[in-house]
Amino acid sequence: MQTDDLEQKKLVYLYLMNYAKTQPELVILAVNTFVKDTADPNPLVRALAIRTMGCLRAEKIIDYLSDPLRACLEDKDAYVRKTAALCVAKLYDLKPELVIDPDNGFLDMLRNMISDSNPMVVANTVAALTDIHNAAMSQPGASPSDPGYFEITSAILGKLLIALNECSEWGRVAILNALARYVVHDEKESEHICERVVPQFQHVNGSVVLAAVKVIMIHMRGVYREDLLKQLVRKMAPPLVTLLSSPPEVQWVALRNINLLLQKRPEILANEMRVFFCKYNDPLYVKVEKLDIMVRLASENNVDALLSELKEYASEVDVDFVRKSVKAIGQTAVKIDSAAERCVNVLLELIATRVSYVVQEAVVVMKDIFRKYPSTYEGTIPILCSNLDELDEPEAKASLIWIIGEYANTIDNADELLGIFVDTFVEESYPVQLQTLTAVVKLFLKKPDSSQGIVQKVLNTATKDCDSPDVRDRAYIYWRLLSMDPAAAKAVVLAHRPPISIPRTTVPPALLEELLGEVGTLASVYHKPAETFIGKGRIGADAVRKAGDLGEDQFSAQKALQTVVAGQQAENLLDFDDSTSLEGQPSGLAATQVLAQTPAAAGLLAGTSRNPLDDLVSIFGGGGPLAPTTPAVFGGGAFGGMGLASAPPTPAVGQTPTAAQPQQEDLLGLF
Amino acid sequence: MGIDGLILLDNTGRSIIQSGFRSTSPAYPLLHIEAVNNAVAKATQPGDVDPVVYVSAYSIGDTPSACCHVQCTDVRILCPISGNVDPLFGFAFLQTFIEILREYFGPLSAATLKDNFDVVYQLLEETLDSGGHPLTTSPNALRDIVLPPSLFNKLLSVAGANINATINSGSGLGSGPFSSPIPWRKAGLKYTSNEVYFDMVEELKAIVNRNGVPLSSSVLGKIEANSRLSGTPDCLLSFTNSSVLVDCAFHPCVRLSRWARGKTFSFVPPDGKFILAEYRYSPTGSSSGSANASPLKDNIPIPFVIKSNVELLDHGGSFDITFTSRLNGRSLENIIVEFNLGSGASGIKCIAARGTGGLGRGGVSSMNAGLGGNSGASWAFDSRRRVLKWEINNAPPSSSWNLQGSFSTPSIAPRPSHALQVQFDIQSYTFSSLKVEQLKITGETYKPYKGIRGRAIGNVEWRW
Repeated sequence: MQTDDLEQKKLVYLYLMNYAKTQPELVILAVNTFVKDTADPNPLVRALAIRTMGCLRAEKIIDYLSDPLRACLEDKDAYVRKTAALCVAKLYDLKPELVIDPDNGFLDMLRNMISDSNPMVVANTVAALTDIHNAAMSQPGASPSDPGYFEITSAILGKLLIALNECSEWGRVAILNALARYVVHDEKESEHICERVVPQFQHVNGSVVLAAVKVIMIHMRGVYREDLLKQLVRKMAPPLVTLLSSPPEVQWVALRNINLLLQKRPEILANEMRVFFCKYNDPLYVKVEKLDIMVRLASENNVDALLSELKEYASEVDVDFVRKSVKAIGQTAVKIDSAAERCVNVLLELIATRVSYVVQEAVVVMKDIFRKYPSTYEGTIPILCSNLDELDEPEAKASLIWIIGEYANTIDNADELLGIFVDTFVEESYPVQLQTLTAVVKLFLKKPDSSQGIVQKVLNTATKDCDSPDVRDRAYIYWRLLSMDPAAAKAVVLAHRPPISIPRTTVPPALLEELLGEVGTLASVYHKPAETFIGKGRIGADAVRKAGDLGEDQFSAQKALQTVVAGQQAENLLDFDDSTSLEGQPSGLAATQVLAQTPAAAGLLAGTSRNPLDDLVSIFGGGGPLAPTTPAVFGGGAFGGMGLASAPPTPAVGQTPTAAQPQQEDLLGLF
Repeated sequence: MGIDGLILLDNTGRSIIQSGFRSTSPAYPLLHIEAVNNAVAKATQPGDVDPVVYVSAYSIGDTPSACCHVQCTDVRILCPISGNVDPLFGFAFLQTFIEILREYFGPLSAATLKDNFDVVYQLLEETLDSGGHPLTTSPNALRDIVLPPSLFNKLLSVAGANINATINSGSGLGSGPFSSPIPWRKAGLKYTSNEVYFDMVEELKAIVNRNGVPLSSSVLGKIEANSRLSGTPDCLLSFTNSSVLVDCAFHPCVRLSRWARGKTFSFVPPDGKFILAEYRYSPTGSSSGSANASPLKDNIPIPFVIKSNVELLDHGGSFDITFTSRLNGRSLENIIVEFNLGSGASGIKCIAARGTGGLGRGGVSSMNAGLGGNSGASWAFDSRRRVLKWEINNAPPSSSWNLQGSFSTPSIAPRPSHALQVQFDIQSYTFSSLKVEQLKITGETYKPYKGIRGRAIGNVEWRW
């Protein structure tokens, strides 16, 4: 250790650092050399010694650390100062009270160092203070309103903005993250910050760009001047597009963030759909994100380019990607009314290829289009039905059965087609069984004369030979309805369905705001609030885990309830009060009617294969706590992906539990 | 919080070297290695692993974390991150670190890393603080504190001479490390011959549909510089047609205000190789995102045409691809056309030929590859990736080349990709025809040697 060769010294120190993990009590033997080295004439040795001491996780070393550290913080060499600044944060991690103690003066020294003449020292000081601040704020019992150890005042703001342009890329990220936390006082300040941060968009380093985007997104909220807002949005596009020419990993992170930004400000890249066209060589994770963004950017101007592109993808080799592309065609059709016909034509072309998985996915997508545009594309039904034999996936089968049931009166041989499924009823999967059941009842209600036999048969099979309680229960309900009052059955089974739409956002607005504040973090990549996947520091981990579990429980309970409400609306299964429902005035469930109009409920309705009763039963079985929860936690849980069948909940759904509570009791009474 | 460390794995997934992790649990890096190896093993395609892997906590009281990873030749580098940090921060650091390794050891490989353990350890220590903050990553500053390995150093150290004299004596005087007032430039540099070189490298990325119409195309340029100038020179680089440069991103040395005012690059260069700026070429000068940007107007002509005729039959197919250069005055070089024939494809038979001039015969199926004699074209089939690769070394202006062949598949309906991937180089050429007006160097008295050249590369997806 006493060597003069710096390279040797470094390697010896490195060895000590690793050794200290297993033999902390022996490291104390080396402490004298460390302390001596912190006063070495060579600044590199001083910095190395103080850095190494900070990394040794040994209690005893700490007592010897304070004095040299203080000296190094005031060193004349900037390299030593900036190394020492980071060491304070490490010391806090080991022994917080030592740093906080005003007698030691570490915090005050750090705060003074923000005015240092060297921008790198400023940046490291900011990083250290932020670390200490975050660690302190994540302690249990820390209140968010507490200014903490690093409050950014307007005086500090000025210094940060000056240092920003002069330090290294990593320093810039640290400073930008600090700027994101600053609470502005007035519009002028917001404008000032935005104007000073915008040049960072021209940095080559992607993480600087994303950190700058984050700051702008946050402080844009305080900007009201139209021209400036427009200018900021316009300047945001080029750096984001540039990120797409980076390696695929970086592209992916960028795409996830772009996806989020577009939900708030779709105008940013409105003209840039072409840069998101997928290349054959792109990794799957990049393609999937690009696809999602392309649908998001779809408008009447570019829909033709989009459709020919999607058709191209549907002929690719990768099955997952092909399915997602076909789905995207359906989403485009639902999103842009005027393009629906073109979308349907593309889908028909794809069905004509007779590639099994393409056809199946196309059938599922057609079902969504029928939902959105009822009685518009009935001409396609014969083509769909001619592919009956090719379908082997439950979702595709269920979709086709739904279509047949829905248009039973226009399909001449509907009873024959459904007969095929009725004959193999017992072998089918439950979603298919449920759909068959409903479709046959629909058929019977529409053509009572010719389908008496088939409905008898299916109800008989479903109630006697089926081992799923869901299917049996539904069959019983239908049976009872049909035998007691066919008019009521008609009102229930053939009830009008609310239209479906593509959600503009995949996360609830409140969560979106929160996530936009965290652009360029893990939270924005996962599209979930940070608390759901990382703990609040080591100490609070347990509490967070518990909260997380609870969140999950609440989430599933919520979802179940929501599905119940949705199911009510779809089939009005439980509405036995026929007179009122005939007049179109739902009784007892009035409250839920309104809720069901929200996109969330509507979206759930879209999934025909999803069975409301599944979740219903799980409520009775599980009996989980039904406490309402905030939309943020709830929405962040699982709705990462966008799809017709899993539309995101909106905050309105947060009120569902109260509305649904009485129904649940009704249900219990019923059984 | 932040970047917890770096782990370098060899291609069997075993750790070669890793930085010192501060976390108390020694299992932490192992968890990350395991998580990434599992994800890699599960992926159907080698490139399809999610770039950010979620790593659940090992024991109660630990927080879960995430792991960014990149593959670089036969080394996979892992960057565990914890807390709510930007994964891009991790990736940006990984990129920087890989650049540093290249700078020190040349092409990266597990073997070179193993040969230079001591230097890699020092680099890890100097570039990443164990608290999660990157430290010194500028190659100029790093070379001062970590000496690159060289035969000369080895000889001297064997002889017992202290070659670290400059570092060890670093008393903050003159040429010592970190004494430079400019963070990216070494102080007190002296060269006997002062030289500065600029390489303008432009890459065309395009997707072309079956009718030969570009669906999307963009040219992204980079100005790579190599500066070997003494003292503190202040450079001013100006262009005759700077309006074609849009969406620029600069090395921190470039003064942004001067660019905004006069579209010139004013900078004090770092020493050695660096990337001065990145830009997008737009013939109309319209930046992306602006309301009047029309992507179609900005299309750049593709310097070649492909006519392909692919017939898919039961259990196989045949193809006839003709490649014609459309570039005037220059030849396309190192052309590689890749054609993914889909899973199970085998029994490839091909003939690669030049449309005009000498004929070259391809190999037969038993060889799985063919060399086109004196024609300069050859083909090979990568049976692992199921990719047929057709290479043309040099295609003079308006020459045409042809590849005919057939393949068979076990399944009835073959599913080859509907796109040909074409790569090419053009020497001494830029798509933007960006012209340097002058390079003025002030602040120093010497007259440096200045060199500027262009290079174009292309990466085109041609659908059929």
